[in-house]
Amino acid sequence: MMRGFIAISILAVSLCPASMSAQTSRAAAAKSAIPRASDGKPDLTGVWQGGSTQRGSWEQANGGVGVGGSGRDPSAPVALSSNDRPANREGAPYQPWAAQKVLEAFNRRGIDDPTSQCLPAGLPRTVMLGLFPQQIVQTPTQIIMLYEYMNVFRVIPLNAKHPDDIIPSYTGNSVGRWDGDTLVVDVTGFNDKTWLAGTGTFHTEALHVTERFTRIDKDQINYEVTMEDPNVLTKPWTLRSTLMLREGTRLEEYVCAENNIDPDRYEKLLKEGVKFTRE
Amino acid sequence: MARRITEMCVLVGLLISAMPLGAHHSFGAEYDVNKPITLTGTITKVEWTNPHSHFYLDVTDSKGTVVNWKFEGYNPAVLYRVGWKKDLMLKPGDKITVSGWQARDGGNWAHSREITLPDGKKLFFGPPAGTGDGGNTPAVEVR
Repeated sequence: MMRGFIAISILAVSLCPASMSAQTSRAAAAKSAIPRASDGKPDLTGVWQGGSTQRGSWEQANGGVGVGGSGRDPSAPVALSSNDRPANREGAPYQPWAAQKVLEAFNRRGIDDPTSQCLPAGLPRTVMLGLFPQQIVQTPTQIIMLYEYMNVFRVIPLNAKHPDDIIPSYTGNSVGRWDGDTLVVDVTGFNDKTWLAGTGTFHTEALHVTERFTRIDKDQINYEVTMEDPNVLTKPWTLRSTLMLREGTRLEEYVCAENNIDPDRYEKLLKEGVKFTRE
Repeated sequence: MARRITEMCVLVGLLISAMPLGAHHSFGAEYDVNKPITLTGTITKVEWTNPHSHFYLDVTDSKGTVVNWKFEGYNPAVLYRVGWKKDLMLKPGDKITVSGWQARDGGNWAHSREITLPDGKKLFFGPPAGTGDGGNTPAVEVR
């Protein structure tokens, strides 16, 4: 009995350090696999796809059922569109009157979506969508983020203060700083013409967004975003997503106004009384 | 144990990660998920335009009448990444089969999903049904 106990103890003692050291070395390997810039900071430079957890090239990651939203087609990908609320996501913490407004937009099937007017999608929606790639260009003093969707860009100076004469805009004014290996971006100066994440998720010019970009290995950046707007929310709203590296993909042009016939068609639906709203 | 923890971490990670993928205007308002259609016909015109592309298809109905249908799909950059080659594929005169969903007003226009090309190759030309209309659950809790 005692001999058996000793044998198990020796086995346990001999196995645990081995597994712990294996974990430690794996962690070390993962850390070393994070590409670093000349200043030692993680290098976020690259072309990325939001809203995906698949590794590999664009083609590898988006093959099969293809890229582009959920819908209700059985052959559709499991990933959701940027207008959708994932089933596992906590409801957005809107004040009751504001929640009613969000619900009304949902029941109108998103025809009031600012992007249907070819307007920029705002934050964090632009970062989290996956149909279009985004590119990060990192320097020691500023970080540039380029988004194919709506041809939007962000210039993010590091260790700088927001200017005191901000003009409210769709993508706001961003300043960044490094918190260890995490890039923290503080964004203010938004207009009130975008949706945050999901159909009808409106906000006011008081919106304050804090983003945390953490490159955890060669292929993945963990993205955490907190939205604060005391005019419409009851508390800060935090979402988590990922950006996946898409080597070999290049950003293309997206000139939305070229042939945008959607608003006219929505108007026609309403005018002709075609039933499209939810009950 | 470590593997189990890793598996749990992966599972939890998958559960908590919000995965918004597309950013399309509301296809759900204009097209009816309850009106799936598959049509075979001849391409008459293709518009490779933003924010959405369109193609027109001559389809002969059961009475022998030719009807021109209009289909909507992804913009040129997304189509390029899907594998489409402008002017080399989907040319006027090509006979193709397309599956998708008809407009809510019952007209001869539809949201395209999959196209079968003359050589039998299948490619997506648009996203799944219902994309962009807000999904099944609103962003807020409904009480």
